[in-house]
Amino acid sequence: MTVTDKSDKACETQTESADAHVADAHRQNETLSAGASAGHLQLVSRATQAKEAALASLFFVCAFIAVVAVGAIFVFVAVKAWPIVTEVGLKNFLTGMKWSVANEQYGIVPFVVGSFVVTIGALVIGAPLAVLTAVFLAEIATKRVRGIVRPAVELLAGIPSVVYGFFGVVIVTPIVAKIFGGVGFGPLTAWIILAIMIVPTIATLSEDALNSIPMGIREASFAMGATQWQTIYKVVLPAAKIGIIDAVILGMGRAIGETMAVLMVVGNAPQMFKGIAKPIATLTSQIVLDMGYASGVHRTALFGMAAILFLISMGLVGLVRLLSRSGGGERS
Amino acid sequence: MHAIGRAVLSRAVIASTISVVLGSVLLLGGCSNTSGTANSIVVSGSTTVLPIAEQAAEQFMTAHEGKSVLVSGMGSSSGIEAVSMGTAQIGTSSRELADDELKIGLTDIPIAHDGIAAIVSPSNPVKNLSSEQLRDIFAGNITNWKELGGPDLEIERINRDEASGTREAFSKIIMGTASFNTNSVVLPGTGQVREVVGRTKGAIGYISVGFVTDDVKALSVDGVAPTVENVTSKKYPIARELHFFVKGTPTGLTKEYIDYVLSDAVQNGPVVEAGFIPAAAKTGGE
Repeated sequence: MTVTDKSDKACETQTESADAHVADAHRQNETLSAGASAGHLQLVSRATQAKEAALASLFFVCAFIAVVAVGAIFVFVAVKAWPIVTEVGLKNFLTGMKWSVANEQYGIVPFVVGSFVVTIGALVIGAPLAVLTAVFLAEIATKRVRGIVRPAVELLAGIPSVVYGFFGVVIVTPIVAKIFGGVGFGPLTAWIILAIMIVPTIATLSEDALNSIPMGIREASFAMGATQWQTIYKVVLPAAKIGIIDAVILGMGRAIGETMAVLMVVGNAPQMFKGIAKPIATLTSQIVLDMGYASGVHRTALFGMAAILFLISMGLVGLVRLLSRSGGGERS
Repeated sequence: MHAIGRAVLSRAVIASTISVVLGSVLLLGGCSNTSGTANSIVVSGSTTVLPIAEQAAEQFMTAHEGKSVLVSGMGSSSGIEAVSMGTAQIGTSSRELADDELKIGLTDIPIAHDGIAAIVSPSNPVKNLSSEQLRDIFAGNITNWKELGGPDLEIERINRDEASGTREAFSKIIMGTASFNTNSVVLPGTGQVREVVGRTKGAIGYISVGFVTDDVKALSVDGVAPTVENVTSKKYPIARELHFFVKGTPTGLTKEYIDYVLSDAVQNGPVVEAGFIPAAAKTGGE
């Protein structure tokens, strides 16, 4: 209701400048039916109709640009990556354990493993942190405390990833090196950095999910004598479960796609996972490292890796939509 | 909505089509021809040479109004390719020409010397390594400093990424046919290598001689210290030259720019500032 009211008011201000007579009619129209939709536009002048139509097409074009961009990028990556099938062979590419450009071996298993190791570890550390932050913000915090914590969490999202990476190199790697020996570059450092990086994504989305739970449910729980903790744990969290899982999956997408910060702290050794303080490489970091000079089959292999990343992202987004639908979520 | 919806939709489709077509036309039209003219040349290639070529170009253009020198760094190989294809007037390179590139008929103009120092932590007592020992370290055959007369300490190899000209030169001179061990940490920059080696007791890495500071210790290789004299006189084994390549004999603006790069203004300015050794440096200079 309120939405259509607003849009009608917006229309009103526009039509007033255009034509007072029409505006009158329009005002009558508004009083006639709050919540009138575009279907009631017969009552306004042709000029207004044209303007409405033009604006609608403008919005449509804007929305469509995203679709075109995604489609174009996907087609481009797929076309560039396709020769991998003939040049390397899909089996060698997807199941090869060795990446060595000099010996023309392009097996991406170490990178896929690396990407997942880095992502899962970051989620294990970051997701609980973020979800508990969200619960605190939505359920416990007083208005004043919320006014401090929420901007802080949102600011985390605004820090460029190169700054995170720099922080990781300068601050985190020496500490990891002290504790675990070695140089300090590896999955553990990447986990710490990525965990901080995905907190804003997961926390804000989880908080939205928690805030969308009707107050009545909490009141009912309190009425039955439950404490605040019991209410959160037994009532609110289960009710918001789907939304929180969505948030975690989107956080995972953020982590798996992160490039710059990971490149700076992960060590970039194209080998299988050997330990949390031993260097590994991920799909994204290897693409960045090699992009500058790769040619021929090597370049094709990089596009192949990009295609794999694309498919993983698509899978994650698809999973979120599937969950929202099956969970009876309102998002379509 | 339904009444006008369809009209809106078709109009929108037309509008979006027009905008996409317009956009692509603009994009394509924006590409300019990159071949040189009397007042404009293109210099492209090595990222190692980039700081010198860029600074020199800036100073040159300030001194010569209306002339433009476009510098880009895409890697030595693409620079050599660009100059042989004619898309650039000067190709810059941090490596020598490969056998198949010798036939193109390029003129080689060395513009600076560069030595590559093997660096360790200042707390490491090891002072000298042979070329073979260096190779064995980076191939992963020697893994503990005690095999090299140092303390009982694991060797932490710090390698550069494959796009690096420094890695390429090190690989060619030291590794030969042996390949780098894949367990090494790979860092995408000289500064990072220096920092990590400086704070890690057992680490070893390699960087341009010009970037060596007190935070790290440069080793002698085969008994020769990586000093300016030793690099210039080619006594120090891991040395390379930085090159400009041109097709035939340089003329016009190309020649002016090259002469400027070889003049004292650049040789004792950007070249030294970037940590390289002037091309004309005499043995015992500095």
